[in-house]
Amino acid sequence: MLILGIESSCDETAAAVVEDACRIRSSVVASQMAHGKYGGVVPELASREHLRAIVPVVREAMSRAGREFGDLDAVAATEGPGLVGSLLVGLTFAKSLCFVHRKPLIAVNHIEGHIHAVIMEARQEGRAVEFPALALVASGGHTHLFEVAPDFRYRLLGRTRDDAAGEAFDKVAKLLGYSYPGGPVLDRLAPHGDPHGVRFTMAKMKGNPLDFSFSGIKTAVLRWVEQRGMSAEIDARRVLARGDQPVTTEQWIAVTPQATLDLIASFQHTVVSELLKRTVSAAEQISARSVIISGGVACNSGLRAAARSADFCAPVWFPSPALSTDNAAMIAAAAFPKLARGETAGWDLRAKANLVLA
Amino acid sequence: MTYTTQSEEETIELGRLLAREVLPPRGVVLLSGNLGAGKTALTKGIAEGRGAASVEEVSSPTFTLIHEYGDPPRVYHVDLYRLETPAQAATLGLEELMDRDALTVIEWGERFPELWPADAVWIRIEQAGGDQRIFRIAAANAS
Repeated sequence: MLILGIESSCDETAAAVVEDACRIRSSVVASQMAHGKYGGVVPELASREHLRAIVPVVREAMSRAGREFGDLDAVAATEGPGLVGSLLVGLTFAKSLCFVHRKPLIAVNHIEGHIHAVIMEARQEGRAVEFPALALVASGGHTHLFEVAPDFRYRLLGRTRDDAAGEAFDKVAKLLGYSYPGGPVLDRLAPHGDPHGVRFTMAKMKGNPLDFSFSGIKTAVLRWVEQRGMSAEIDARRVLARGDQPVTTEQWIAVTPQATLDLIASFQHTVVSELLKRTVSAAEQISARSVIISGGVACNSGLRAAARSADFCAPVWFPSPALSTDNAAMIAAAAFPKLARGETAGWDLRAKANLVLA
Repeated sequence: MTYTTQSEEETIELGRLLAREVLPPRGVVLLSGNLGAGKTALTKGIAEGRGAASVEEVSSPTFTLIHEYGDPPRVYHVDLYRLETPAQAATLGLEELMDRDALTVIEWGERFPELWPADAVWIRIEQAGGDQRIFRIAAANAS
């Protein structure tokens, strides 16, 4: 079975060909394509950008896979959540392909894709994620905890009330003068600071104890910075961030005093602890037989290290870095069980900005 | 008009009040204030006050840029924080949203003043120490 997946829910235009729910024949993400044309630092946010990229990206995915459209068993596209204008580009292109080549169309939830990225990679290694699974999906736009049943039905257990985890990383990085998105920069600097150097008290929340809140810690970092008059060091970093060359960790450290490194380490430690505390407790609550941690924040090495030593009741699975961030292989992977169940979409399929998984 | 709140809960309640009694049925509301000022919290109240979403359903649209609440949408929640140029903001199709029969609440809109209609409502949020927040509400052309 061969499925072409198309993803255009937010910044990335992506296409991938996946065989038998485990072999990635190709996976193309526009911003990572060679020759620089789509490789700018500006987010591919507008539907116009997706429109420009969709044809070359799909063509590249098919050609790298060495397959023709006629070889496909289905075409899958992200129906939501995301920007309607951006989603529509991928969905409409997928519909057109299905109409012309008489293939079934499959609608996939973007967040479900992140979960399937991990299940697909486990299959590649000849291993199996066991169910029920507990899934933490954490990225710039989402922070959710789901119970995943063997038939890929989902139950929402917790989510962020305000900022997503990845958003907190990016905003803290930006206010400290690092380039945006700065989550990866903070991750590289955190090992150079003391994770207990600055103490953040997380407010007790009413309601669902599995919900997250990251707005408070972002504001706490801002206050810390304001109280210490850090504008000179922040300006030095902004100058470095504006340059044309990628900045190395050593260059960042040269313009980051130890107190700021301690702040960064403490911030990362606190966010990671908040994520893992609830993930551990949700996994116990549902007697999970495996734990999936996916989404862009799953790239964070502090999170990976802490998850390995956390007290989980079941094995923890992370995606590889390329499948952590937005991609289309995960969309194709999520489509296989739907195709098997005959869950195909009609021509009236609409983009759904607020689509929920559960 | 000026309001003061002492906690996040009070900010959400102010949002409900504004949605019911102060804000126009449709049009643009611009929220300005530093990180952590309470822009998303106020929007939680506004969306709930308009019957578009519950407080829990409203989260930050920084990465996703636009959240829609209600079916059909009665509140659009837009966040321009990570955009750098007016050209980027202009490609989001905001004019189309602003034409709809809904309230469009925009965070970080003050960075692109040329994009907003003359009848937009501005809500400026000041942090007055601790959890206290001061909300100043004005029509754009009066500010």
